[in-house]
Amino acid sequence: MPELDSGSVPEDITETEVRESAARERREKLKLFLTNWQGLAGLILVILFFASAIFAPLLAPYDPNALDIPARLSPPTLEHLAGTDQLGRDTFSRLLYGGRVALKIAAIGVSVALVVGLILGMIAGSGPRWLDNLLLLLFDTVRAFPTIVLALATVALTGPSLELVLAIVIITSIPQYARVARTATLSLKNSEFILAERSLGAGKVRLLWHHITPNVVGPLMILAAMDVPVVVTVEAGLSFLGLGVLPPTASWGTILNEGYLVIRDTPWMVTAAGVPLILTTLGFTFLGEALRDIFDPRMGKGR
Amino acid sequence: MAKDMSQTNDILLDVRDLSVDFRTSRGRIKALRDVNFSIRKNRIVGIVGESGSGKSTVLWAMLGLLAKNADVTGGEILFEDRDLLHASEAQLRAARGEDISVVFQDPMTSQIPVLTYGRQMLDILYRRPNLSAAQKRKMAVDMLGKVGIPDPDRRIDQYPHHFSGGMRQRAGIAMALLTGPKLLLADEPTTALDVTMEAQIIHLLQELKQELDATVVVVSHNLGLIAELCDDVVVMYAGDVVEAGDVREIFHNAQHPYTRALLECDPARIDDVSRKLPVIPGDIPDLARQLPACIYAPRCQRAMDVCRSEVPPTVERGDDSFAKCHLLGGPHEDPDWPPPQDVLTVYRGEDTTEKLKAKRSEKPLLEVENLNVRFETVGRLSAMFKGVDQRHVDAVLDVSLTVGPGETLGLVGESGSGKTTLGRSVLNLTPAQGGSVRFEGQEVRNMPERSFKPLRRDMAMMFQDPAGSLSPRKSVRALITEPLQIHGITGVDLDAEAERLAEMVRLAKPLLSRYPHELSGGQARRVGVARALALNPKLIIADEPTAGLDVSVQGEILNLMADLQAEHGLGYLIITHNLPVVRHIADRLAIMYLGRIVEQGPTDQIFANPMHPYTQALVEGVPQPDPDRRRAHVSISGEVPSLLNRPKGCDFCTRCPYVQDKCRTEKPPHFHPEENRSHACFFPLT
Amino acid sequence: MLVYLIKRLGLAMVVVCLVVLVLFSLLHLIPGDPATIALGPRATPEAIARYAEKMHLNDPIWQQFLIYIGNAASGDLGLDVFSNRPVTAIILDRIGFTLALVFASMGWAVVLGIPLGCLAAVRPDSLLDRITGVLAVGSIALPSFLVSIWALLIFAVEFRWLPAIGAGEPGDFSDQLSHLVLPAFAIGLSWVGYLARMVRASMLEVMGENYIRSARAFGLRPRKVVYGYALRVAILPTITLIGMGFGGLISATVFAEIIFARPGIGKLIFDSVMARNFPVVQGAVLVATALYIFVVLFSDILIAWLDPRVRESL
Repeated sequence: MPELDSGSVPEDITETEVRESAARERREKLKLFLTNWQGLAGLILVILFFASAIFAPLLAPYDPNALDIPARLSPPTLEHLAGTDQLGRDTFSRLLYGGRVALKIAAIGVSVALVVGLILGMIAGSGPRWLDNLLLLLFDTVRAFPTIVLALATVALTGPSLELVLAIVIITSIPQYARVARTATLSLKNSEFILAERSLGAGKVRLLWHHITPNVVGPLMILAAMDVPVVVTVEAGLSFLGLGVLPPTASWGTILNEGYLVIRDTPWMVTAAGVPLILTTLGFTFLGEALRDIFDPRMGKGR
Repeated sequence: MAKDMSQTNDILLDVRDLSVDFRTSRGRIKALRDVNFSIRKNRIVGIVGESGSGKSTVLWAMLGLLAKNADVTGGEILFEDRDLLHASEAQLRAARGEDISVVFQDPMTSQIPVLTYGRQMLDILYRRPNLSAAQKRKMAVDMLGKVGIPDPDRRIDQYPHHFSGGMRQRAGIAMALLTGPKLLLADEPTTALDVTMEAQIIHLLQELKQELDATVVVVSHNLGLIAELCDDVVVMYAGDVVEAGDVREIFHNAQHPYTRALLECDPARIDDVSRKLPVIPGDIPDLARQLPACIYAPRCQRAMDVCRSEVPPTVERGDDSFAKCHLLGGPHEDPDWPPPQDVLTVYRGEDTTEKLKAKRSEKPLLEVENLNVRFETVGRLSAMFKGVDQRHVDAVLDVSLTVGPGETLGLVGESGSGKTTLGRSVLNLTPAQGGSVRFEGQEVRNMPERSFKPLRRDMAMMFQDPAGSLSPRKSVRALITEPLQIHGITGVDLDAEAERLAEMVRLAKPLLSRYPHELSGGQARRVGVARALALNPKLIIADEPTAGLDVSVQGEILNLMADLQAEHGLGYLIITHNLPVVRHIADRLAIMYLGRIVEQGPTDQIFANPMHPYTQALVEGVPQPDPDRRRAHVSISGEVPSLLNRPKGCDFCTRCPYVQDKCRTEKPPHFHPEENRSHACFFPLT
Repeated sequence: MLVYLIKRLGLAMVVVCLVVLVLFSLLHLIPGDPATIALGPRATPEAIARYAEKMHLNDPIWQQFLIYIGNAASGDLGLDVFSNRPVTAIILDRIGFTLALVFASMGWAVVLGIPLGCLAAVRPDSLLDRITGVLAVGSIALPSFLVSIWALLIFAVEFRWLPAIGAGEPGDFSDQLSHLVLPAFAIGLSWVGYLARMVRASMLEVMGENYIRSARAFGLRPRKVVYGYALRVAILPTITLIGMGFGGLISATVFAEIIFARPGIGKLIFDSVMARNFPVVQGAVLVATALYIFVVLFSDILIAWLDPRVRESL
């Protein structure tokens, strides 16, 4: 009689093969991502955005604030790749520097909102009922303000500044992260594996940190990728209205605003200033969509 | 081949050389390979197989509703004279619902929640333009009445969520039969239902089949259901039909080693209490890999060299009856195969009863007395608005039980009986409102977590969902050693400990680096056992330890648990709805109904002479895997009432066949007719 | 259901009150005298004193808050600092333009986006699906104010097909309509993509459900299965998203109104911010926010009405 009670793994599977099957899945996801041209295009655009903003001082052909009155409102030429504004400043250089503002807002705004939202959401999801209700009410109140409307109301009192834009971005995006984190925490809290951990004696901190957080962070990261375009747009929009970054600092919004004022004289400024904004939002949106398609189990199952 | 000879008029559906592949990221999975069988008119045909056998794929191929990544690579399915595999979408659609109809596995998810039954049934009758809406509605109401739905004229305007599980399945059957199909397919029609409901649905299908003159195909893994219901049986294994034939031939004279082993593994067939179940070693093969000539060879106890290299012959015996095995024909025929019925062909594991006796002691490990658990159903505010006074339901009501070292107590009940809640509240995972829980004499009910934590080393739990109870982003190694880390046990080599535990539960070491979703059900279950054992507990509460496992795998897990019990003198509280399984492993049984224990006593006595009518219904409700022992009637009707409408008198009075006036008005206390038995019935059966 | 309605309505009211509280706190948390802030640095001391008196600024803050809430409940949102016109009247003058724009934008986005999403979901990975997918994601990424500017540049400045600014002559319907086209296009564009993606995703999820397989197994027509069954369920999460996304729609409206010089609420808020006309800002922000809150409320109730499971669990 053969060895009958020998576990359920066929003998011909070796450890390396099993390791491979675990690694294979990761490789497959990477491959899926790399063959998804939208995701790849998104990734390239996002890298481009980061690189151009970080290396703006090296890449910019001119000082963003250097005036060249004789060449004012010039269309794109070899000297001025994206033309010049009404003061003769080089739009291309200004756009590169404008990317730094966008990057700053996006990086700080999204990461702070994500962390705070994650913590608040997990507190709401795992804490007592009254705290959950209180936090929900708070989230609902903040969310009730359309972002721009809240920004307008605040600017009316404090006057425009970059810090204000950042604060508005953070405050208005926290609720959405918190809500996702809360919902995920709530559903995980009652799942069988958390019960199993509790039956082993795992404490609250261990449950939240080791078992809930790793399962909540994934969807939040995808949300963050999708949120960057919103944040960048809010900054550009507020600066466009003259309520964000103040001239002469270059920002995509202020350049658009200056272009809008001369739109009947030259179409080049609003056209040129829109391009990096669109490329950035496109990049993050494509990236986020691709990540969601690959990692969201609800979307992936070979339908 | 058999079908060419018997190509007579009485064949309704003929599956020939059907091959289906699934395209997946792991490559092509050969889900069906040259499947052949035929279905005779006016017969009930059972397709039986474990998970991964391809039985459902066959069914969906008949309907032309295979998943999008499926490729039919060959064969034909002849229905009357049409080939369904190569029919146009329009032709297929004309056949679906009219000629061929389906009853689905899970009535909870297979009926659209936002439309009433009336609307859904009207939609099914869309091909009858000469019928008025009123006539169609009348047809639907009649059909609902026929499948046993009370007050169909009113209930037809309700939505699926208004129906209980059993009623939903009845409505599902009504929808399938509405158009009077020639062929009715039933995909695991009772799997989602409780034992007492299952018996009723089987009975209903038998009745309807006689009345409506239809041919029925039942796909199931449940041997009892097949034996009880079917005329012909097709046995599938890993995408292949290994044997087909008349139901008595299959169940009494199985030819193929797999059929034989499958039948031997079914706990419902075994009558003795030995704590060990027969098992088929190994796992079903990975169909994406290179396959041996006989697909069962790697697990077959009679495998020969030829089985891996040469395709086994199809050996016939009479009409549409055949088995594929080298033992049955050709140069390797063995005249002594199959052996007589009473000889086991598969291994059963060594008997541990003697070893266990030494570990027993009189002092109970766990004592539960009059435990009560209540759940709040309505918030304080809503209750005020709606004028509800009863804001709580009693999920567990006055439950008393004990478990001693080395003893196994089986806690049996249908869904909603409160058995899982009871298990959780013993482990302090759900607060209890009254009574006492003592562990080794110490009162632990509602103990603060801080003081309870050390006790968790002695009391472990195995959860119902083997994979779902493992934290999804931890490796098996981390999961197995986590109990040690939680309890701050230092000075051990965690890697060595992980390997020791893996060895203990017979989990292959390479699997330690896998993640839960990469494990099979049986492997995940082993990880659960290893976690429960990591801290050398004295008591294990196992919630449905065999849920979701195939017949051939569940034996391995139960045998493992029995070995560990004998080794360490563990006390087991096994929570289950599966009476045949606990019959072999439990010393004593406690039967729960609506949160109360209605009967308690030694297992063999409870099976031999149940005292409570509900226990009797459960014992008789299990369909026997023997076509000669079909039941003539269903012992109880109706369904478990909701906890919200707990009857005033005896909880079981709404369904009890022996109910008397006293039962409806007075709640029976627990009687103790013998020293070790108790029941809660005014008029016990013996 | 009634309990649910009352509960949701009550909650919405609480949120509106909290919104007022936030607006109030903003005014009072800023260092300095609220009257001076409200009127700006150039206001005369007499004007400030008059303003403080009129706005009850000398009372304790909680009293001011209660007075404002009470007044707001009876429709009095205070007076314009400059013209002394009631803020309510000013808002009523303007709100029609905003509502017309909001509904026109959402309207065309729904009419185009939902069928596109359905078509894409019926044949996933088909050419149509891929094309709508790329276009949809692309249009989601387009910031609406940039679309507004570019639409203005292309259609109004370069080609002069459509009017650039204003809302059209009062009473002249076709003129008003032609003034609505560009802003509604600009706001709705990203919503077309957004809705198409949402509907596609939730349709795909629903199409994989067992009950859709049942409907197909009963031989129902594909069109019935898709539009009678799957969409019936898939539309529910989409409604929630439309409700939730309404806030973004209001933000987009603010930009469109400013760029196209359309005299709606958004333009009113912007102009008042620039003029530091705080009562008007406060009133208009309150109205815009309340509008959003009630749209979300309405979408929740709509779902409860469409889904028997939700309807009865209430």
